[in-house]
Amino acid sequence: MVKVTLRNLTKSYGKVIAVDDLTLEIPDKSLTVLLGPTGAGKTTTIKCISGVLSPDRGDILFDDESVLSLPPWERDVAQFFQTYALYPHMSVYDNIAYPLKQRGLSKNEIDRKVKEIARKLRIYHLLDRKDPTTLSGGEMQRVALARTLVREPKVFLLDEPISNLDAKLREEMIYEFKRLCRELQQTMIYATPDYLEALEVGEKIAVIRDGKLQQYGTPQEIYYHPVNKFVATFVGSPPINMLEGDLKTQNSSIVFQGGGVTIDISELAGKWLEKLKGDKIILAIRPEDIEISKEKLEGAFRAKALVAQPLGHETVVVCNLGENEIRILVKGFLSIRYGEEIWLKLNKQKIHIIDPNTEEVLL
Amino acid sequence: MSVESRIVRRRSPAKRALLYIAVIVVCLIFIFPILWMFATALKTRPQAFSWPPLFVWKPTLRNFIDIFLKRQTEIEAITGWELELRTGAETFFYNSLIVTSGSILLALIIGTLAAYSFSRYRPTGTDTLMFFILSTRMLPAIVVAIPIYFFYKALGLYNTHIGLILLYTMFNLPFAVWMMKSFFDEIPEEILQAAMVDGTKPIKIFYKIALPQVLSGLAATIGFLIINVWNEFLFALLLTERSARTVPVAIASTRGEVGINWGLIAALETLYVIPAIVLIFLLQKYLLRGMTFGTVRGV
Repeated sequence: MVKVTLRNLTKSYGKVIAVDDLTLEIPDKSLTVLLGPTGAGKTTTIKCISGVLSPDRGDILFDDESVLSLPPWERDVAQFFQTYALYPHMSVYDNIAYPLKQRGLSKNEIDRKVKEIARKLRIYHLLDRKDPTTLSGGEMQRVALARTLVREPKVFLLDEPISNLDAKLREEMIYEFKRLCRELQQTMIYATPDYLEALEVGEKIAVIRDGKLQQYGTPQEIYYHPVNKFVATFVGSPPINMLEGDLKTQNSSIVFQGGGVTIDISELAGKWLEKLKGDKIILAIRPEDIEISKEKLEGAFRAKALVAQPLGHETVVVCNLGENEIRILVKGFLSIRYGEEIWLKLNKQKIHIIDPNTEEVLL
Repeated sequence: MSVESRIVRRRSPAKRALLYIAVIVVCLIFIFPILWMFATALKTRPQAFSWPPLFVWKPTLRNFIDIFLKRQTEIEAITGWELELRTGAETFFYNSLIVTSGSILLALIIGTLAAYSFSRYRPTGTDTLMFFILSTRMLPAIVVAIPIYFFYKALGLYNTHIGLILLYTMFNLPFAVWMMKSFFDEIPEEILQAAMVDGTKPIKIFYKIALPQVLSGLAATIGFLIINVWNEFLFALLLTERSARTVPVAIASTRGEVGINWGLIAALETLYVIPAIVLIFLLQKYLLRGMTFGTVRGV
C-alpha cells in the first residue's frame, strides 16, 4: 500500500558486493519483479527492504519517508523467505497464526484468517500437523506462503515464492498474487530467477545482475527492447540468437558478415551507426522472428537442420546457419531430418544490433 | 539401517558370538563395582566383611535407616564416639541438592543468554572471548584452591551454600556457554529473521523462537553440568564444614574415625548415585548429542 523507493542502495558481505548502487522506484499498488540469476542480489535487496539487513549505503523510503531507522518489527512488511524459514517448534496452524498473534488480533479473527488462507493454498488438512519440517517441499512452501499472505502489510516481499509448486498451483498462485495486488491494492516485490515467471507475474520488471540494475520496465519493454546483451540473453527461451561478425559497407549498402553468413542490413541503417565503436557487431534475433521453409524462398538463407524439439503448440528447430547454431521457434509440430536443407528468412525489422565492446543494444 | 548394524550383519555367527561375549564381559567389569555397592548397602557389618564374600544373604535395610536416624549404632555403643556420617545424612543430601540446583540454574541462565548473544550478534572479538571463557577451565583446580579458600574466609562465603553455588557456577559457565552456543549456531538465521519481520522484538525472539528449538541441547547441557557439580569433591571439602557439607565429602570423612562401616557408606553412596543414574538414562540420547557437539561443526 506504499510506494517503495530504493536510493543508491549498496550492501556488501566482506569483499563481495551483493547490491551495488541500486536505485529503483517501486510504484504503489504494483507488482514489481526483481529478475536476475542466482547471486544477483535479489534476496539481499529484499532483506534490506524488510530491515533484517541494513545497507552499507543508500536509503529506503516508504512513501517518501525513510524507514532505515525502523527495525523490522516496526516496518510492517511481510516477507516470504526462499528457505521457507518455518518455525520448527510450532504446528502448521501456529506458524500461520504467528504474525497475526504478534499484532494482537483477536482469537476469532486469527482463526478465520488462518483457515481462509489455508483453504486457498490447499493446506487446510495440514493445519494440525505438529512438525512443519516433516512436510514435503511444496507443502512447506505453501505454509510459508500462507504465513506471508495472511497479513495485510504495507509491502509484500516474496523471494522465489512458487519455485517448488506444481504447475497447476503455480498458475493459481500467480493469479492470486495479481488479484491481491489489484483487488486489495497491495504493493508487492517479487524476486525470481525465472524470466517466464517474471513476464507472467510482473507489471514492472527490474533486471538485476551482480547487484546492478540492468533495465527497469514493463514486460514488453524488457522483452522487445532489451538495453544490453545480458537482458537480451537472460530473457527468452529458447535464447535469442546471436551472430558475431563485421560491419562492412559495400557500394552503398551496409552488410553484416560473419560466421560464414552475409546479410544485407542496409534497411536497418540509422543513428546507431554513429554510436558504434569499431566495426564489429552482434546481430541478435529472437527464435520466433525467423521464418522457416523447406523450399527455397526469396531472400532466404540456406541452413542445415540439426534437431527439432516439439513443445506441443510449437517446435524448436536447431540448425546451422554458416558456422552459427541458430534456434527457431515455429508454430505447431514440425518434423525434420538431421542434415536436411532448410531455408531461413529473418524478419529484419526485429533484428537487434549489439555493440560487442559495450554490450549495449544499439537497435 | 545404520552403518553399524550392516557391519554386524555381515559377520559370521561365530564372530558375532565372540563380539557379544566381549561386550558382555566389558559391561560386567564396568557394572560390577556398582552392583557390589548395592549389595554391600543391603548387608550387615559382619556380612560385609565376611570372607569368602557372600553372594547369597538375607538383605537388610538397616543401613538405609541408620544413615538418617539419630540412634546409637553398635560401634558407637562400644566406643562412645559419634559418627559424623550418622548424624543427619539428610542435611548433606539437602546441601548437595541446593548447591547443585542453584549453581546449575545460575550457570544456565547466564550461559544461555551469553551463548545466544555470541551466536546471534557475534560482537567484535567473539572468537577471542569464547577462547578466553574456555581458558578459565584450563587451569588445574588445585592451583586456585588456596587463594579461593582465603577469599572465601575473608568474604564470609566460607561454609555457605551461596559460596559453593557461586564457585560451581563459575566452573560450569564455560561448558554452558560453549555447548549452548553450538546449539544456537545450528538455528538457521532466516528463521530468526522471519520472526523479526513477523513482528517479534529481539528478547521475545530469544525465548519464543530460539530457545524452544534448542531444548534438546539444553537437556544435554543440564546433564553435563549436573555431572560436573554433583560429584565435586575438592572445593566442597575445602570450603565447607558440617552445616554446608555435601554428600561426596560426607562419605569420605567417615573413613578412618572408627574403622570403616562399609554398609553405611554403601547405603549413602547408593542413595547418592541413584539420581545420577536415573538422570543419565533419561537424558541418554541428549547426552550423546552433547558429546559429539564439537565434532559436527566448529565455533
